[in-house]
Amino acid sequence: MDVVVIGINHKTAPVEIREKFAFLPKHTIEANRMLKENVSLAENLILSTCNRVEIYAVADGNKDYVNNIKTFLGRFHNLNLLDYENRIYIHKDKVAVEHLFGVSAGLNSMVIGEMEILGQVKKAYQDAQESRTTGKVLNRLFEKAFNTAKKIRTETFIGRGAVSVSSAAVRLAEKILGSLKDKTVLIIGTGTVGEQLVLYLKKNGIKSILVTNRTLEKAQDLAGRFTATAVAFEDFRNRLIEVDIIIASTGAPHYIIRNNDIISLMPERKQRPLFIIDLAVPRDVQAEVNKIDNAYLYNIDDLDRIVEENLKLRKSELDDCSKIIAAAADRFMAWLIKEKLKDGI
Amino acid sequence: MLPYFKLHIISIYLSYIAFFVASAAAVLYLIQNSLLKNKRTGTIFNRLPNLEFLDKLNYRSISVGFPMLTFSILSGFIWSENIHGVYWWSYNSRQAYSLVLWLIYAAILHVRLSARLRGRKVALLTLFAFFVIIISLFGACL
Repeated sequence: MDVVVIGINHKTAPVEIREKFAFLPKHTIEANRMLKENVSLAENLILSTCNRVEIYAVADGNKDYVNNIKTFLGRFHNLNLLDYENRIYIHKDKVAVEHLFGVSAGLNSMVIGEMEILGQVKKAYQDAQESRTTGKVLNRLFEKAFNTAKKIRTETFIGRGAVSVSSAAVRLAEKILGSLKDKTVLIIGTGTVGEQLVLYLKKNGIKSILVTNRTLEKAQDLAGRFTATAVAFEDFRNRLIEVDIIIASTGAPHYIIRNNDIISLMPERKQRPLFIIDLAVPRDVQAEVNKIDNAYLYNIDDLDRIVEENLKLRKSELDDCSKIIAAAADRFMAWLIKEKLKDGI
Repeated sequence: MLPYFKLHIISIYLSYIAFFVASAAAVLYLIQNSLLKNKRTGTIFNRLPNLEFLDKLNYRSISVGFPMLTFSILSGFIWSENIHGVYWWSYNSRQAYSLVLWLIYAAILHVRLSARLRGRKVALLTLFAFFVIIISLFGACL
């Protein structure tokens, strides 16, 4: 009764290779069944996400199961596995258990501590259950993986703090303005980061979006994509009274918003707080704006620094996470050995 | 005479509790505001509530405390008349302090309602008012 994981991930293989190994969601259940039959495994589970493809298996008596699983992988995807020998990792028993616990808690993710992976692992587990390819070992293993991930999330800082410019900006917006449900954002200019940020604000429930650009067509195009309102560039200053968040991201060589603009604006907006995000280089907003009461100015460096600090904080938590994982893996292995003995008798 | 006395005391306490909540919100507001302005988004920043909430809590607490204070001052006058036969007993520094306090909170509500000030400056005024409360409590003990 060995526990084994065979897989490739974003650390061992680029996306061009990972995509060759990926199992489509609609094929996973069937692939689980085929794998169990072809290799005559006691239990197995396929985890296939954009960053990893892993097969978790429990083998009984079958000596050559690792090679057989690889052969299955090669045949299923029409690949010659010899070409990818150094991309594939194989972990057994305690190392395999620790690997799964680490993956589930997001420690193995591209962005350390991200939450998405836990849902993907849960989905993979549900699929395997539906394929009827899990048994008492994988059932217990995955249940423990979910518990351990939860424990790590609550007891360490691994999942805390924003780790992208967009999420850092949204977090700041919520700390300044409270709920975004009744707030309005204005984006001046176009740019990838700015557009991502607007999408993220939308996802977080911002009430309305205004878009302006020197060329009105561009603004209208963007407005169409965001279901936003396009505002003529000459007109955007008149709309600042109703806006709570300004995202400035123009290619202008000079300031678009100056200190005096905001000083005269604040009484008109009845001192309602204003959050200005300046993504432009050279900057669109005069730095002194941050000194005005109820106006908060963050530029791209400020946001990058927050992201960096949070990533550092997450990395510093890795030791604590490893300890929790090692302890949980030890408990699981102790249970597994007892089960082995029981079955032996 | 007794009901006046009771209501007077109760409304004083309630108004002080409301003003205390307003001041606590103001302190947290000033901390969070300074963290945001200085871009220090660490653990304290994460733990503290958002500025909007703290500003509203401050405003609403004062909105509750102010009518309480008004009532306690009026009932104080009546009580004073009952005991001393005059509404304004010049040896009672508390009456004078209460009036000063009433004026300060009225001013805070005024600037806030007329949207002249908001956020940091209102928080500072709230702390000043609370400082006057503490002085008046000490003053009354002397």
